[in-house]
Amino acid sequence: MTDATPSDPDALRLERTFNAPPQAVFDAWTSAEVLRRWWPVGSDWETPIAEVDVRVGGALRLVMRSPKGEEFGGSGEYVEISRPRRLVFTWTWDGQEGDEGTQLVEVELKEREDGTTTVVLTNRGLRDEESKRSHREGWQASFDNLDRVLAA
Amino acid sequence: MANDPFKALAHPIRRGIVERLAGGPATIGIATAGFGVSKPTISKHVKALEQAGLVVRRIDGRTHRLSLDLDALGEAVEWIDRQRAIWGRMFDVVDDYLDEQEDAR
Repeated sequence: MTDATPSDPDALRLERTFNAPPQAVFDAWTSAEVLRRWWPVGSDWETPIAEVDVRVGGALRLVMRSPKGEEFGGSGEYVEISRPRRLVFTWTWDGQEGDEGTQLVEVELKEREDGTTTVVLTNRGLRDEESKRSHREGWQASFDNLDRVLAA
Repeated sequence: MANDPFKALAHPIRRGIVERLAGGPATIGIATAGFGVSKPTISKHVKALEQAGLVVRRIDGRTHRLSLDLDALGEAVEWIDRQRAIWGRMFDVVDDYLDEQEDAR
């Protein structure tokens, strides 16, 4: 996996090539099983809810329960479903609605000549309307610079 | 949310000021020179950085000195690191899942 290049305008961009055709990769990204396994909780944790409703406006919902009975969850909504090329959904961890807020996750799939599929995930925080506008202006350019700045 | 560091960094001029201050504190004149915009505009951008807690202003007579608050910047960078870990994990899960699908065929 490669992270963003310094010139990348997005806050977070992850890329990886999977050894499978785009349809299979897309179906994995929209699978409830993948959602269930997503968060690396211990084997003594339960996942009472891992649901996906794969249609525009449909919900994703994940709830994990610790051995002590504490629950952690998050939910989102599918914004765009263009199998097998593009998937867009929102995601918000429970309890972070007012903090990190809703994230917008865009997953782009590109088929390569050798039959593998390259996936580029872009993650943006969407704190409010004004911040959505700023995202479009490409404000995230700052973060790679900031990493460099802080390391200096 | 006026105190949101992400929003404060939304503008190229504000990012430019932050990058200059990364070299150390500077007078407001030096930190904001050469952006090609009016003084009131510069002043607005500096205020936005101050409100977000990213930049601290110290007034010494007629000289205004700006410096970075590295803690506030660190929080913004930490947020990015957390998201990277969370979504990177999703890639790993998808990879495992695809392997299993392949094995099952």
